[in-house]
Order: sequence, then C-alpha cells, then structure tokens
Amino acid sequence: MEALSLREDNGDKTAVAGQNTLQLIAFSIGDQTYGVEITTVREIRAWNGATPLPNTRDFVRGVINLRGTIVPIFDLRARFGDGQTSPTKNHVVVVMSVGDKWVGILVDAVSDILTVSREDIHNVPEGNAIDTELLNGIITHDSRMVGLIDLHAVVNGAKLDG
Amino acid sequence: MSDLDDFKATYFDECSELMNELEEQFAAIEGGERDADRLNAVFRAIHSIKGGAGAFGFSALVGFAHAYETLLDYVRDGRVEMTDDVVNLCIRANDIVGDHINAAQSGEELDADYGQEEKQRFDAIARGQRGDEDEWSGDIIEEFDIEFTPVRVELSVGDEEAVEAEAAPEPDTFDAPPMPLEPGHWEVRFTPYRQLYSRANDPLLLFRELAALGEISVRAILTDIPALSDFEPFGVYCSWEISLFAPDLSEAAIREVFEFVDGDCSIEVVPLGHTMLPAAAPIPAPVAAVPPAKADENLMALTEDEVAAAPVRLVVDTPSVPVAEKPVAQEPVAQEPVADEPALSFADLANEISASAPPRPVPVAAPKAVVAPKPAASGEGGEEGGNRSVGVQSIRVDLDKVDRVVNMVSELVITQSMLTQQMDENLRARYTELVRGLEVLAQTTRGLQDSVMAIRAQPVKSVFSRMPRLVRELATKTGKKIKLETIGENTEIDKTVIEQLSDPLTHMIRNSADHGIEDPEKRKARGKPDIGTIRLSAEQAGGNILIIVEDDGNGINRERVLQLARDKGLVAPDITPTDEQIDQLIFAPGFSTADAVSDISGRGVGMDVVLSNIKKIGGSVHVRSWSGKGSRVTLRLPLTLAVLDVMLVKVGESPYVVPLSSIVETMQCSGAIFERVPSGGQVLQVRGEYVQVIDVAQRFGMHSNKAPDDRFVVLCESEGSQKVALVVDDIIGQQQVVIKSLEENFEQVDGIAGGTILGDGNVALIVDVQGLRVHQIHQNAA
Repeated sequence: MEALSLREDNGDKTAVAGQNTLQLIAFSIGDQTYGVEITTVREIRAWNGATPLPNTRDFVRGVINLRGTIVPIFDLRARFGDGQTSPTKNHVVVVMSVGDKWVGILVDAVSDILTVSREDIHNVPEGNAIDTELLNGIITHDSRMVGLIDLHAVVNGAKLDG
Repeated sequence: MSDLDDFKATYFDECSELMNELEEQFAAIEGGERDADRLNAVFRAIHSIKGGAGAFGFSALVGFAHAYETLLDYVRDGRVEMTDDVVNLCIRANDIVGDHINAAQSGEELDADYGQEEKQRFDAIARGQRGDEDEWSGDIIEEFDIEFTPVRVELSVGDEEAVEAEAAPEPDTFDAPPMPLEPGHWEVRFTPYRQLYSRANDPLLLFRELAALGEISVRAILTDIPALSDFEPFGVYCSWEISLFAPDLSEAAIREVFEFVDGDCSIEVVPLGHTMLPAAAPIPAPVAAVPPAKADENLMALTEDEVAAAPVRLVVDTPSVPVAEKPVAQEPVAQEPVADEPALSFADLANEISASAPPRPVPVAAPKAVVAPKPAASGEGGEEGGNRSVGVQSIRVDLDKVDRVVNMVSELVITQSMLTQQMDENLRARYTELVRGLEVLAQTTRGLQDSVMAIRAQPVKSVFSRMPRLVRELATKTGKKIKLETIGENTEIDKTVIEQLSDPLTHMIRNSADHGIEDPEKRKARGKPDIGTIRLSAEQAGGNILIIVEDDGNGINRERVLQLARDKGLVAPDITPTDEQIDQLIFAPGFSTADAVSDISGRGVGMDVVLSNIKKIGGSVHVRSWSGKGSRVTLRLPLTLAVLDVMLVKVGESPYVVPLSSIVETMQCSGAIFERVPSGGQVLQVRGEYVQVIDVAQRFGMHSNKAPDDRFVVLCESEGSQKVALVVDDIIGQQQVVIKSLEENFEQVDGIAGGTILGDGNVALIVDVQGLRVHQIHQNAA
C-alpha cells in the first residue's frame, strides 16, 4: 500500500503553524471539502479493503490491519448520512488518533495542507443537528468552505443498539 | 525511575512473595502442623518485611510488624503457647501486615489506630507471660533493631562546608600532635578507587581484619567528596588513614589484609619508627566513613553525641574504632556520570595528601615504604576479577520484555505456518531441501514458543493464596462458618491469564459465601455440617485450564431467578428456559437475586464481571447448581493468550475464525438434518440430539451467495456440553493465530471475541460462540 505524497500548499510552504495558526489536512467528499488538524493525522493510505464488522452501524466500514494492530475504518460520507461510499483504489483512508485510539476515515481524496488562522474559524450555523454535531467549525479557504471535523463525534455511536 | 524506586519495587515484590509464604505457612499451621520450622519461616518473613519497611520509612508497618514479631518470638521461645486463639490472631495480623504493605505501596494512609486492637492483644498475651508491666509495647519504634544501619555522618566544623559547598578542600589534619613513637607503629594509607564497592568490597571488613592484627585507629579523609550534584551514590570518595600498633608485625602481613582489594585501591604502608604515640590513648578521632547521600537534614543536624546516642548498632568489635558502615540504600543524587571527571591518579592523590598534610610524623628517611601503586589494570573490565561468580537461580525480568519476545515468537509461528501452507505438491516435489528446512523451522519455532510460554507460566497459587483471607473476612461479615479448600494450586497458567483471574474468583467466592452457603442453623436443620465448604480447584484439561469454584450451600434458586429475569424483561413470559439456561441468567448484567444489597454482594455486578473478564481472555464460564446441595461454577481458560488454534471459515465474503477448542465436528449442510421449531428457528439433529442452529451470515447481516446445500455446519460445544451449530459458507482450514483486541482502537462488538491478522495481512474476526448463543436466546425471547 503506497502512502500518498501530499501536495503542499504553494503559498504556505514556509509557514509554520504558530500559536494563532492551525494546519489542516483537507480532504474531499463529493465536491465538499473537510479538514482535520494535521497533528492528529498519523498516516494516509490508499483504500485496500477492510474486513466488515457485523453488528455495527453502516458507517463502520470494517477493520484493517495497521502493522499488527486492528484499526476501525469509518466511512465519512455514510457518517454524514449520504449513503455508503463505493470505494476504489483511488479512495483514501486517513488514519488519525482520537484520544488514545487510532481510527481511519474513508474519504474520496486528500487535497491539501492548509494553514489557517484560528480567528478565521467560524461557528457552525445552528440548524441541522448533524452539522453541529460533527463539525467543530467552518473555515473559508480560497473562497470555499472547509468543514472542520469533530473526530470524537464521528467515532461515537458506532455500535448498533439492541 | 530512580534507584530508590527500583529498590522499593523490589521490596514490594518480595513482600507479596512473603505474604504468600505467610499464607501458606499458616494454612499448614492451622491444619495442625505447629513445628518450629513453620514458625521460623513465619518469623523470617515478618522480619524481612519489617526490615525493608524500616529502610523505606514505613513506620506504621514497622511498628505493627515489630509488635507481631515480638509475639512470634515469644511463641518461638515457648513462652507463649500456640493456641488456636494465637493462630487466629496471627492470621488476622498477617492480613493487617498485608494492608499496611498495600497502603505503603499505594501511598495511602491507613487509620492511625488500624491494627491497634491486635497490637494490644499481642501485648496482652506477651505481658501475660512476662507477668510484669513493662512498657515494652509502648513506643516500639524507638527500640526496634532493624538491620539497616543508619548512615553516620561526621560534621565537624569546616568539613561541612567542604562537603556541602564544594569549597576548596580543607586540609584534613591529624588532631594529635606529633609525638615520638616506639617501634611497631605503622601508618597505612588506604585509598580505594571509585569502583571499590561495585567489586563487592567493604572497607569495614578490612579494618576489622586490621584490628585483629593490633590496635588500630582509623580516620577518614573526606576532602574528595564532591558536591551533591556530582555525587555518584555507589562511588567511593573517601580514603582512610589507619594507625596501627602491633609490635611484631611485618609489612607483608599488613599488605596481606589488602590482598583482596588489590587493584581496586592504592595502599601505602609506612612504619613510624622513631616517633611515639601513647598506646593507651588511641586517637579518638571520630570516623565518618560515609559521604552524605542526599542531604538528610535530620541526620546532618545531629551532633556527634546524638549520633552516638542514636539507635545505631555499630557492627565493629574493636572498641576504639567506631566505623560506620557503607551506605546501604542511598538515594542516588548523581546527575552526571562520574566518567566525565578526570580520573584520579594515585600519584595526584598521594601528593595532595602529603601536600595538604601539615608536618607529619613521618621521617623523610623512612625506609622505602611508599609502594608504587598497582596500575588499575582491571579497570571497568568486569569478570576477570573473578570475585563475582554467584550461582544465579532466578532472575526478575520485566514482564514487558517477556511479552515482546512472546509477541515476536507468536508472529514467527504464524509466518512459519503461512510458509508451510504456501508449499503445494508441485513445490514440494521440486524443492525437497526447502521442505525439509521448513519442517525443521516448524519444529524449532514450536519449541521456541513452548519455552517462551513456560517463562510466563505461573502456578495459580499466586491468586489462590489471596482467597483464604477473603473467605475469613466474608465469614466474619456474614456470621457464617466457612472453610476454604484449595486443590491443584500448582497448576501453571500464563501470567496474563492469572492476572485476569483475581477479580472473577473474588466475585465467585463472594457469591458462594453470601448466596450459597447458608447460616449455621439452617445448615444444621438440613442435616449438613455447620461449617460450609467452598472448594477452589484448578486442573489442566487438554489445552484448557479449568478453575472450579464449588460450594455445598443452597444452590441457585431457579424459580426466583426466572421470576426476576421475567420481571426485568430478560426472558419473555411465553418462554420456558431449561434449568441450564436459567442458571446462566445469573451472568446477565445487573442481575442479582439478593433481596437486599449487602456490602458484600447484591448490586448485580458480580457475575457479570466474571463473565466479561473471562470472555475477554478467551475463556468461558459455566454454572451448575443442585437445589439445596450446592453449586459449581467452572471457568474454562486457555493455557495461553498468545496463540490460538482456530478454524478459518468464510461467512459471506469475509474470513472468520472459530476457536478450534470449541469445535466438535464439521459437516456439509447437504448431509445434515435440519428441523424447524415453533420460534421460526432451526435445529440440527445430530445422532439423536437436537442442537440449536445459528446462521452466522444471517446473524451478522451478511448475504450468503452459496446454495444452502453447499454451506457447512460447524458444530461447537459451548459451556456445559450444550452444543450449537454454526452455519458458515465455507471452511478454509486450520491455522494458528494471534489474538488482537478490537477494543484497543474500537469497542467490543456483539458476537465477536476479537480479531486476528491472517497471513495475507487481512483481518479476520474471531466468532464468540458462547456470545452468539446467549444472544440468540435473548433474541428468541424478545
């Protein structure tokens, strides 16, 4: 499984994430862009299948072997309620640490590393519970919206009840 | 981690061993074996615990242990008779000692009066024998004679500065004025190199030997003691000047004393021929052999008199030579390796000494006495000194290290079995050498695996030995009479399994004592002996260990269990479970048959914990009960957690593994006889027996593409010889796998006992047979 090389954002090549800036890994689902803080990302790998886990919600795509430990994979599209992704070799799993656990999330593609200022993070508009639950904030980058993913919320509630 | 923490950890390790030993000895003593050997073993154990506690300053523990030890001493002398009362008091005392140790380990504070009652009883018993009203029991701590000699520090004015502030070394001078000496006086300058202690040498022993030759007076040169920050705790920083008076002594005889430290120190022997020291008045120079370790303020503040008055047992026989012992367990203060310092050459040292010393009573014309120092050839070299060949019986190894080896060996075994599987007939025919090599590899890896597992195996005794105390406490609390029997406590299980055993056993025994065993009156009315028995046994059965907790109590009240289960909605009103199914209900979370929550049990968490703990380690639990006669809980545990023999099957498109130990047989669906039952489920008829059928694909919400007849039945035996038939899509083969936790990065999933990684790198899930079956019962019931 080859790790994808990340294209750096040209404008920010020398920028170092300081007190007030935040570096994000941006990835896409459909034509929407989302981001997670770069420090939580452990590894990016191409989709290579996963062993399905029974008795779990549909956004749990299964588990993979990450160098000898078992890591669950969450389908972000399904988590947003847009139905399961039909993954191909071009889909990407971003492995992240959430608390003391490692999880992978399945996304369509990883696009950028963004450096943004903390002041530019906007609140998620009240309204849809899914939005406020799963997003920590919204950032505008190149006049496009980037949703900041709340990893803890994504992982929660994976088990099928009853 | 500092060395002191290491010492402490070792001490607590030893304590737990000693506590086990105590438990064992008292089990025998209680059984009537009251010979001196056992008593001595008990005495030794308590004494060791006390000694270590003293060194680490656990004063509450020391105080109690001391009182206890005094009682034991009286018993040993025969002054106190070993009556049942005394035995019981001692057993209680062991528990208190154990509590003190635990408190010391966790840093908790016990109530100040904890154990006072027992302590007073020791006193009472002992006093009764002495017939006087000595206050020996009063402030015990002041008089205990632990064998750790406190560090003695000499603090004459001036020295203090030299020691503490690293001021310019003040010349250390002889206090005694130069005086004429008569022949037979020698001056020995003994300058150890830094590594003296690490070569297991002790200056004290040398001085004793010298003292045997004649009258000696020793003084320490403390000028080389570095600042605390540079201080290496096991280094030697002082040198000594010894005046020896022995009329007919040759230089060779003096040198012989130092024979064993040859190479670790430099020795100067100078005869003081023409001056004279009044032999009757040896120099009363106090000796401080030990550089101050971590500045112990109290100790530092002591005046010399106080030091002398302190409860220090000096181990020196020669009256005129008070010599303090070398440090025993010092807190390390050194931050920097001493190796960074320029090595002290002997010549420098000697020069320094002579230069700093005021006019000395050594005539210049003294015979050639200054012997060239032996080069420190042995250096850091190590073994060639040959003085350290101790027969090592056992070593303590960090469990993490063993685990790493175990994990690697497990992976090796799997890789090896994968390689073997890759060899098809074609390859076998072509590469016979390779095949042979693989076979040898297979054997070696198996052997390696067994050896590694043996390292981690431990007798279950280590858990069993905690139970007598629990039973005693339960008996006291419930007012019942309970006897604990243990069988097969030398059965060995993997340490990781043993660690998981403690909680389940505690809960099971609590349950037996609280719910199982009846009150003495009730037992009598039923014609049972008034002492209830709980039997704890361990045995190996094939690849499993069986741990069985039995009691001769009341058994499970099935009507009540069923009623409660129905009330809680665990069992639907229209279902009539079998007795066996009812018994298993006690493992449901939150289930308790107790009418009232006592502080022992009844909150409904106990048996639930048992089940989940045991399942976590790949074991299973089974309960059997005989109404009015007793009950038996059997834990079936894997011998090891590291590697599991499994059958690899396919469900839908996914690989699953079923533990081989639970599989009875497999068959093709086409040849199996299925019948329908009213619930809509299926049963399988096997040799006249009807077995519940679980379609795994269906249960896991997956689609099976295979025709029903092409599928397979895996007949599994879950606990209590209750069988269950799993229908899977394909059987791939047998394999060994390493169990990996799903919970490490995810959470527990129903019907899945864990995961494993196959040879191709994919994850296969382990089917939780028992879990599937229990779930099925609930589902049917719902």
